[in-house]
Amino acid sequence: MTAISQDFAPPFKLIAPYFIIGVVIYLLSAIFALFVDVSTLYFLDVAVLGWVHLFLLGFVMMIIFGAMAQLVPVVLEVGHFGVEFFYIIWPLLLIGTILMCIGFVYVPALLPYGGTVVLISMLIFVLDIFLTIKKVKKFNFAMTSVIIANIFLFLGVIVGIILALGYAGQIEVDINTLLKAHVYLVVGGYIIVTIMGLSMVLLPMFGLSHHFSCKPVEIALGTMSGGVILVVIASLFDIAIVAYLGYLFSIVSLFLYFYQGAILYATRARKEHDIYAISLYYSFSALIVSLILGIAYLLNGAQSILLSSGWLMMTGFFGFLITGHLYKIVPFLIWFERFSPLVGKEKVPMLADMVPNKSAKAQFFFSAIGISIATTGLLISSNILFKAGISSLVVGAIFLLQSLIYMIRFKK
Amino acid sequence: MITKEEIFQAVATVIDPEVGFNLVEMGLIYDAEANEAGKAIVTMTLSTRACPLHQMIVQWVKEAVEKIDAIDECEVNLVWEPVWNITMADDNVQKALGG
Repeated sequence: MTAISQDFAPPFKLIAPYFIIGVVIYLLSAIFALFVDVSTLYFLDVAVLGWVHLFLLGFVMMIIFGAMAQLVPVVLEVGHFGVEFFYIIWPLLLIGTILMCIGFVYVPALLPYGGTVVLISMLIFVLDIFLTIKKVKKFNFAMTSVIIANIFLFLGVIVGIILALGYAGQIEVDINTLLKAHVYLVVGGYIIVTIMGLSMVLLPMFGLSHHFSCKPVEIALGTMSGGVILVVIASLFDIAIVAYLGYLFSIVSLFLYFYQGAILYATRARKEHDIYAISLYYSFSALIVSLILGIAYLLNGAQSILLSSGWLMMTGFFGFLITGHLYKIVPFLIWFERFSPLVGKEKVPMLADMVPNKSAKAQFFFSAIGISIATTGLLISSNILFKAGISSLVVGAIFLLQSLIYMIRFKK
Repeated sequence: MITKEEIFQAVATVIDPEVGFNLVEMGLIYDAEANEAGKAIVTMTLSTRACPLHQMIVQWVKEAVEKIDAIDECEVNLVWEPVWNITMADDNVQKALGG
């Protein structure tokens, strides 16, 4: 008999704070955006830096870390080195995120403190991942991506700390030079590489895709890693041509990842257009539009195009990919804890029964409309349009929180 | 002696909570046999190697088969060849999942 992994589902009380805090911060980040003036916005504006850190650390990273507590054993097929580490990671990440956010917007002196707390939380996370990986005997694509992603995360956070110290005036560094390296290491190197790896486990599993080629995503992983390394080198040595080569690699990588998504879509057995599926449709569409805007920025250089591309990548691609998966992962964890012991003894609900369909669809509708309008607002630097979109996104975020609470409190 | 059909009938009480169909109609049970000593062997697969429920599903199959009066012990042989695909599922499953 084939050996099977242990500890596939840590207790929900361990993971619940990551999802609850992540979704609350998703809502707060939408409210934060209501107060941003887009008519004069630029890439290094404190409002942009504050919002990006709130969204990426408080929502994206918080939920990725929580999901990894459950997914690492699934992906690596071994138990965590120390699953208890996850009890301390979220409080540190939360405190660090709040300090950094306040630091960017009001008190720059807080940035190194916030950055250090975030660094500690991420180092604990990376430590657990690497010590868990040590137990792995045979590596597959997802495992390789987890290793690469966590090396980039480690380096990205170190660069981030140096930046925070420079931003607070503690040391002298060229912020503009290091910023590109930081952004690429964390967003391209960690978040996107993690998404690539987990996608090859989760998308075929939930869509029941079979007999598909993995070549596009394998090349995508290589080109994204190459792109990140090139941009880091370009940042450190200030070589523009190498930076452009890195951007090109990253864009090619994301198009290849999109192509892999299309292959998984075409070979899937499950063809229902449920909340999970429609969230992925929006996410992948947002990825393509964001990439087109990114290419337009490289050709045109307008800040509004760069901002709308980045916004759509984060809220559209990352955001919907994460919220879509919440409707799969949260019911599973609750079901596993609450109902799996009852199997064979009494009738238990199916996972799909635990998803609040109306609330989930309202979340999708308001968020999708809101993000699309807000992207247009950013593109044409229209405050009215941007705020109209954000208002809709806030309503969507409230429905997301309501859906999460429903799933967590689900009883037969 | 217990027949393959009787074992399949017992396993058909095990439902995959993700898709809502039983393991037999999903086509996940490849073979089953029992000897006169009351030992059954079920050969099965899962829809994905990464299935986070696979320990539990294997346990549910064992428990379901061991509920048959003449069976004292059930061994589950989890295999990955041939790789499962949707064409192995019953028509009703293919139709329902097909959207």
